[in-house]
Amino acid sequence: MELRAKVIVEGFWKGIHRSPYHGFSVEFTEYRQYTLGDDPRYIDWRLYARSDRFYIKKFEDETNLRCHMLVDHSRSMGYGSGSYTKSQYAGTLAATLAYFLYTQGDAVGLATFDDQIRQYMFPRNRSGYLRRLMVALEAEPQGSSTKLGPPLQHIGEMLTRKGLIILISDLLTSIDRLEPELGYLCTGGHDVVVFHVLDPAELNFDFDSPALFQDMESGRNMYVDPSDAQISYKRKLEKHLARTESICQNLGIDYHLFATDRPFDLALLDFLQDRMRHRKRIRHRGRPKGRRTI
Amino acid sequence: MSFLYPLFLAGIAAVGLPIILHMIRRQTRKRVTFSSLMFLRTAVPRFKNRSHLENLPLLILRCIILCLLAFAFSRPFFLREAGDAQVPVARRIVLLIDTSASMRRAGMWPRAIGEAQSALRDVSRADRVCVMRFDQGTETLIGFEQWDAMDSTRRTAAAAEQLSKLSPGWASTNLGLALVFAAEAIEDDEVNDEQQKFKTHRIVLISDLQKGSSLEALQAYEWPEALELEVKLIAAAGSTNAALQLIAGRDHPARTAGDELPSVRITNSPDAAVERFGLSWAGEDPAGTPDRATEVYVPAGHSVVVRAPQRTDNSASGKLILTGDDHDFDNTLYMAPRLTYQVNILFIDSDSAGDSEGMLYYVQRAFRATGSIDPVVISRSAENLTDADIAAAHLIIAADAISPGHIDSVRRYLENGRTVLLVMKSPDTVKTIAALAGIETIDSQEADVDTYAMLNRIEFKHPLLAPFSEPRFGDFTRIHFWKHRQINIDNLPGAEVLAWFDSNDPALFELHVGKGSLLVLASGWHPSDSQLALSSKFVPLLYSILEYGGILASRQSQYFVGDNVPISPWSGPESANIEIRKPDDSVIALDAGQESFTQTDLPGIYTIQSSAGNHIFALNLPAKECQTAVMPIEDLEGLGVFVGAAQGGFVSRASSPRFEGGTPSTLHRVASTFALESEQKIWRWIFIGLLVVSFIEIAMAGWLTRSPSNL
Repeated sequence: MELRAKVIVEGFWKGIHRSPYHGFSVEFTEYRQYTLGDDPRYIDWRLYARSDRFYIKKFEDETNLRCHMLVDHSRSMGYGSGSYTKSQYAGTLAATLAYFLYTQGDAVGLATFDDQIRQYMFPRNRSGYLRRLMVALEAEPQGSSTKLGPPLQHIGEMLTRKGLIILISDLLTSIDRLEPELGYLCTGGHDVVVFHVLDPAELNFDFDSPALFQDMESGRNMYVDPSDAQISYKRKLEKHLARTESICQNLGIDYHLFATDRPFDLALLDFLQDRMRHRKRIRHRGRPKGRRTI
Repeated sequence: MSFLYPLFLAGIAAVGLPIILHMIRRQTRKRVTFSSLMFLRTAVPRFKNRSHLENLPLLILRCIILCLLAFAFSRPFFLREAGDAQVPVARRIVLLIDTSASMRRAGMWPRAIGEAQSALRDVSRADRVCVMRFDQGTETLIGFEQWDAMDSTRRTAAAAEQLSKLSPGWASTNLGLALVFAAEAIEDDEVNDEQQKFKTHRIVLISDLQKGSSLEALQAYEWPEALELEVKLIAAAGSTNAALQLIAGRDHPARTAGDELPSVRITNSPDAAVERFGLSWAGEDPAGTPDRATEVYVPAGHSVVVRAPQRTDNSASGKLILTGDDHDFDNTLYMAPRLTYQVNILFIDSDSAGDSEGMLYYVQRAFRATGSIDPVVISRSAENLTDADIAAAHLIIAADAISPGHIDSVRRYLENGRTVLLVMKSPDTVKTIAALAGIETIDSQEADVDTYAMLNRIEFKHPLLAPFSEPRFGDFTRIHFWKHRQINIDNLPGAEVLAWFDSNDPALFELHVGKGSLLVLASGWHPSDSQLALSSKFVPLLYSILEYGGILASRQSQYFVGDNVPISPWSGPESANIEIRKPDDSVIALDAGQESFTQTDLPGIYTIQSSAGNHIFALNLPAKECQTAVMPIEDLEGLGVFVGAAQGGFVSRASSPRFEGGTPSTLHRVASTFALESEQKIWRWIFIGLLVVSFIEIAMAGWLTRSPSNL
């Protein structure tokens, strides 16, 4: 897992030099006019030389990012029509982000959940901690059904300092209460990102023959003829996705739908572009500066 | 084509089952595991129409298998020609009528005769019939050839005439022997029938099928395959039957004359309705009415043993009568007084009776009176011996040489089949042996015994010594012989040595003289010669000699109907003038030399009238004949007898409505269809076809299973 994340991230860095998208990388420089009482050590003397005004490089005072990854380990994440499952994809995605943040010196934590928090690792940036994190991500999903409410509420209660929360899940559960549950995190001042991971078979439902379908979480059997059910299925799924995205938009949450057949580096690129756009949007809206985001 | 069991053809409807299975299987076979069914709704499995049936050849094969199975079970057969069913099949029939004592029960015999006549009326002209009666034995009244020789219009009448002469006797029932006899008669007749035109063989048994019937003969007999037994059961009107048997009636040596009243066993039938009976002696009046009756309680299916009631008269014989049950044929028990007869043992020697050093002393103590015999030892010295003594003796023990004057008498005695034991107290006795054997001289001398001699080899197979054949009785090594005589038996033709001394000298040998037997013991039993008299073998040996000489031959006073009564114990040496008076006062004179009386066909008191006096013995019904409960027909089937089912049941009961409902023509037609089907056996070919199709189906199914494209 660690090796996989490293390859993806390093490949990504190399690609940056050839990338046409300059300037999207993380820039945290921000100036504030010097006022009385500020520490003169943070005055940018070069800017003073050019502009004859005192500016303080305030960002130097901000601490590193605290990132919490919430990875869904319910049984439905074990589904995979291709060579790997949603769980493996989500694990690799989480590991990639963790490695990426770790190399920047950010603290990364992990929480796996199904209908409740199963494992929790506090965000840290110590040597060797990343390896423990990778081992936890490699574990196969052993949980039961997906329930977002209790884990999100639990996390929200645990976190006292603001940070980044990345939720990686297939969200194959009722989303009637999703808005208040995510809203609880947002009101806590956390920056929330949702990675919605689905298998291509779940997105397209392109089965060819009638069969007895068994639910991975409940074990329930249902006779389904795909020729009849496909249209209805896709309609319901699209409705589900649209509503999820709508909730996230309403709450100002970055929402990303990943099909498991999409390459990781492209997925990561999409994510960072979105983050860039998001940051600009925040700046324009005049959010408090000095917050370091990815 | 016709079917024996057309109902089985309904099984063809089962072909719908594989068709439905072939339809359903496609729908439910595939299973898919999916992450969540929250966006799916269930669909109803749809049956595809026939055009979508897969594996059609396999389906057809499976349908054929089911059809063949139903077809085989319906037992098809072809009617040969239109007229065939109407033409009666020639049959070979044995009409077997039970004439045992149990058929004497009230109302049974007329019904049995009625059944027999009814069976005769069903006989067609083409049939071959044999009429037999049976009880303990079997007798042919009309044989197959006799039937064939008669005019076809007179056959039935002749058979009916024979039947009218029949009446049940008093003998027991040997049903097994009768069935074997009848089956063999059919087989014999079949062997003589070159054209083989008789396809159906049947025994029509008219009997009460009582439980006491003997079936042992069937156990060693393989019942012919094509022979069918049809049973016409004659049921009794009442179910309660108690029987009376004498216990220890046979002369037991331990019983003494003038003993207490005899014990009798009263057995009640399992389905009896009455449990109280009366037991009494028949009165002295000619009518034989019972006097005071003793009440006896016997539960159904049980038996009790009681003492016979006290008698009011003192007559020697008696008739004990049981009252209270439905059938009285087995309610009378005839009893003859126990017989004690005198056995004369002539001891030839000069020993005194009280001298314990002599041999007589021990002989007198060995022979004691018992319940049946009263031995009298008559001691005579060789000089005082008379021919009358010899003639009156049942056994002669000669310890001294017999004078030449009496040798002829003794020889005649032997030639009449009697036994003489000659004990060689001295080598001189050998002259008597030589004289009785009819040779001039035999070498004999006193043996040179070192310390003592023992018996070495003993012929336990000989009847005289057979009682000692068991290991616990056969140890003679403790008997020491201080002295014995050596006899050279090489010159004695026909001498058979029964025991040897350890010096290989004969100790006991037998010489046949005429019908009699001369036993020679080479040593005495008195203390100066041996320890024989003091050993445990002495008394059994003397009694064994008595029995070997026929003196202890059974002189019973109680026999059963059908027994052979030995005459020789009563007759004495001359049996020329023996007459026997039967209970019906008929007198039968026995031929000279006849050893047994066989006309024991009537229960009652028999009197043997001979020169030796009159003796009586009683004849009763055998105990098994009194077991009148009906035997399960499965008992016969268990012994391999094929009991026909042509009449809608295994047994046609004479009074049963089932029998009355079936007309003879219907029964005959049914029997013919059975015979046709049994002859053609088409079902076997269908089963072979079924196996072939099954193998093809298995092979095809296996091939389809291995090819994934067909799944």
